[in-house]
Amino acid sequence: MKPLSRRQFLKVSATAAGTTAVVGGLQAALNATPVGAGSSGWLTPVGEEHIVTSVCSLCPAGCGLLGRVVDGKLVKLEGNPMHPVNQGSLCPKGQAAPELLYNPDRLTGPMRRTGDRGSGQWELVSWKEAINTIAQKLNDLRAAGHPEQAAFLYGETRGQMRPLIERFMQAVGSPNAISHDSLNIEAVKLAMLYTQGVYDLPAYDIENSQYILAFGANLLEGGRNPQRTIIGQSYFRRGRANRGKIVMIDPRQGITGAKADEWVPIKPGTDAALALGIANVIIRAGLVDSDFIHNYSFGFENFKDSKGKKHKGFKDFVLDNYTPKKVEAITGVSATTISRLAGEFAGHAPQAIAMMPGKGGLLNGSITGLYAAMAVHILNALIGSIDAPGGVQVQRYFPCAEWSPMPTDPIAEKGLATGRLDGAGTVFPLGKHAYQAVADRILAGQTVGALFLYDANPVYEVPGGQRFVEAFKNVPFIVSFSSFMDETAQYADLVLPEPTFLERWQDDAIEGLGYPGVGLRQPMVEPLYDTMNTGDVLIKVAQAMGDPVAKAFPWAGFEELLQERLKTIGTDWDTLKELGAWFTPGYRFARRGSKKWVEEVVGKDRASAPRDGRFDLYSRELSCALSNLSKEELAALGINKSGDAPFLPHQEDLTYAGDEAEYPFHLNVITLMSLGPYSVAANMPTLQEISGMTVGEMWDSWLEMNPETARELNLRDKDMVWVESPFGKLKTKMRTVPGLRPDVVNLPHNQGHKAIGRWAKDRGVNGLEIINPASEPATGLASMTNTRVKVYRA
Amino acid sequence: MTRWAMVIDLDKCVACQGCSIACRFENNTPPVKPSEALKGRAIRWNDVFPFPTNPLEADAGEYPETKQRYIPRPCMHCENPPCIKVCPVQATFKNEEGIVQQNYARCIGCRFCTVACPYGVRYFNWQEPEWEGTLNEHLNPDRIEGPGDLEGPAVRPKGVVEKCTFCIQRLQKAVARAEAEERDFDPVDYQPACVQTCTGKARYFGDLDDPESTVSLFEKSPRAFRLLEEVGTHPKVIYLREG
Repeated sequence: MKPLSRRQFLKVSATAAGTTAVVGGLQAALNATPVGAGSSGWLTPVGEEHIVTSVCSLCPAGCGLLGRVVDGKLVKLEGNPMHPVNQGSLCPKGQAAPELLYNPDRLTGPMRRTGDRGSGQWELVSWKEAINTIAQKLNDLRAAGHPEQAAFLYGETRGQMRPLIERFMQAVGSPNAISHDSLNIEAVKLAMLYTQGVYDLPAYDIENSQYILAFGANLLEGGRNPQRTIIGQSYFRRGRANRGKIVMIDPRQGITGAKADEWVPIKPGTDAALALGIANVIIRAGLVDSDFIHNYSFGFENFKDSKGKKHKGFKDFVLDNYTPKKVEAITGVSATTISRLAGEFAGHAPQAIAMMPGKGGLLNGSITGLYAAMAVHILNALIGSIDAPGGVQVQRYFPCAEWSPMPTDPIAEKGLATGRLDGAGTVFPLGKHAYQAVADRILAGQTVGALFLYDANPVYEVPGGQRFVEAFKNVPFIVSFSSFMDETAQYADLVLPEPTFLERWQDDAIEGLGYPGVGLRQPMVEPLYDTMNTGDVLIKVAQAMGDPVAKAFPWAGFEELLQERLKTIGTDWDTLKELGAWFTPGYRFARRGSKKWVEEVVGKDRASAPRDGRFDLYSRELSCALSNLSKEELAALGINKSGDAPFLPHQEDLTYAGDEAEYPFHLNVITLMSLGPYSVAANMPTLQEISGMTVGEMWDSWLEMNPETARELNLRDKDMVWVESPFGKLKTKMRTVPGLRPDVVNLPHNQGHKAIGRWAKDRGVNGLEIINPASEPATGLASMTNTRVKVYRA
Repeated sequence: MTRWAMVIDLDKCVACQGCSIACRFENNTPPVKPSEALKGRAIRWNDVFPFPTNPLEADAGEYPETKQRYIPRPCMHCENPPCIKVCPVQATFKNEEGIVQQNYARCIGCRFCTVACPYGVRYFNWQEPEWEGTLNEHLNPDRIEGPGDLEGPAVRPKGVVEKCTFCIQRLQKAVARAEAEERDFDPVDYQPACVQTCTGKARYFGDLDDPESTVSLFEKSPRAFRLLEEVGTHPKVIYLREG
């Protein structure tokens, strides 16, 4: 076992110190005055005051919170020092969260539509009536023998909510619990599955690393888990004797590129080629970890399969096709830079990380996005940093208590045997979720009898989201659980507002640190309005539906379900509430080839390929999925290379919506630290005020463009421009940004709302409206980055 | 004596603006209307912005050799504050622990100080502060009284100048807390909101007169610099440069 570092030791001892001391510490952390203090005459005591722990929900990081509650009002949030993700710090979104709680545009109770869809005419209903309406609707679908016509679209949805939604749909009898993952993180999860055999996001041991190659991984702004990576990089930079180096590979410099030690402006969509070019140099220079490559990986050398057929291995494939010279021509990154990066990266092995993007970056709208993520992750394998200190870790979770077995139900079984509404696994053979495709599938004739939207605003957040408005015309019954009247809730028949995350119970698995942990969201204040936790709603609906569905939901409410599911994590409910988080610090690395290695680190989620603890450089899982397809069928999936190439990461020809001659720029929709990825943040005035710090803008959208390009177009900084793609055009202000490739333009995400509230509505433009609405044919991912645009003066 | 000072490590700062917003919610600075904000009248005591690059410097060049720098800017709490000298009514003053304070009750809104301050960290209330609808529920209720009446986070009226106080109410609370617990006040109990929330752990706070304090040690770092040192203000906010 690896000895605990000083930092980890401190964490352990803090955990062990017991709650009394800790709560005192938390009080001090928030500078809370104990009641009765303030006798000095300087300070006026302000009222009954206490501290509540919780977990933030304004981005996927899940930072721990301490709320200072004075006389029942939440007056300040701080980071929870006991939470390992943020360790006491908090970003502007978290700091501004009281503006979400006390937002004047919140919905105050359950509502039923009275006018036409989208007309904005509503009446208040009772919760009982709303719940009975849903139960009746679902029972009707089941009585008609078509429970699969119920569909549930959900967003980030942390902790037990995700399995609860899945269980609810399973009990009803529908396979259609569809996650929004296809809009952002799915490419990375699939790349992990097809190489390392683990269907999850990787965790990175940034603190112990020496060198990070960040391929489109927006560490410091809009990544998957920005707070974890920011703290990691602080320590990586200045927390120890030797300062690590970060290389940011992205067409846009942004804050991450500006703060990185080196910025490599790569041609968009060519990350696969660059990663393979780096692999080429590593292999030729003999810098691979030969123990790992020969004993714990598959497909490095050429091999013969069981039928005696010869296959090309990763080594020869990369040596033949991706010499630095060839890669320079594809990526625009010079051959010397490629060789230098390869040398630096492999020279720090195994304390070096090639990081896949948390969101955006590589998702190219063709299967190249998946291949790129695979190629990047394989760099870690080549130098042996898989499950090595300073390298890549596999995220572990606390085991939760088992669910009770599902009751036998022939109606549900029949429904569950049908294909998915979104086409995942059928239309999209490699896909697990195809959120944005739901609209297309409904418009193509799939029947949906009841649609539920939780934490989901597809009309806004999906490229070409207006398709959903069309599709909704074919859906007789739509329920939204949104706390605000967002773009999608406007078209619902029932809107059942959920309390904001500061008023409700929910757990939240800690991600990004490797070791298992859980945070607990608990009400900081009494719910302000007549809202209900969606977990409670689902349990009540199931119970109102009667047996057999009700049998699967024996709990009195969501809080009871949480208590039952979390009783196995190693602490009691009260301690968890007190501390806000519980975790087992200290990641335990697995010895290569050990039982733990095979069961947890490499290969555990493979469906068809052997779970033999070998990391696939030649993807056997992809081979199982695709080898029966003909050349034409592969081409239809966007794979134009033949032979063994489809199973090896490679650079496919880039396909774009929009002809290059007419539409010369790549459009990239970027996530900002301030507004973040979720729609509701746009209605927080403080976040609007700071949204455009990098360019000096606020309360609006802007288009980022290289100053030289702007000169060529005869445009000046701050000119109004049209941004036009084959799918539409938007008018906004152009701002010149020197740290940007001349052939790329950026629009910030989370402006241009048509609803939600007074601060979000009619402000700026939504870049996703003119992004290619197609889904990637193999994986069902949204095509976020393969749209070309032209820009001209407005 | 105590001389409170702050260190900001620009190598760790990631320009997230957490400090700006932590300050807003601790000190009740009002969000202003978009039209006002566009006139440069937004009030964020601790603003973060792109640092103007010197075109003669090698790293500020053209694509792809560009470098952008960002800098957070609280009040520098100068040892020799120009704002105090120009105030005709002595509404702004430096207390015995080196914190530059503002007495809102005395301020007549002449804005001499906003011009005199070379750092631009004094903010005038052009409008009556307003929190729409239920937004005012989250206002920090802390009140402190002293020689500067209504310092701290009490909502400021239209027509006065306001500024960073190093979250002086937190100092008062920490002192009161130590008293209530019958122990000596420990400087580590006092941290302004921006220091506490810093996502990159880039900020340090402490007593410059204590040679063992973190800020004193960082003051001697070869990376340490102060803004506009040449104008003789002697700031007590010390930056550590990148790289």
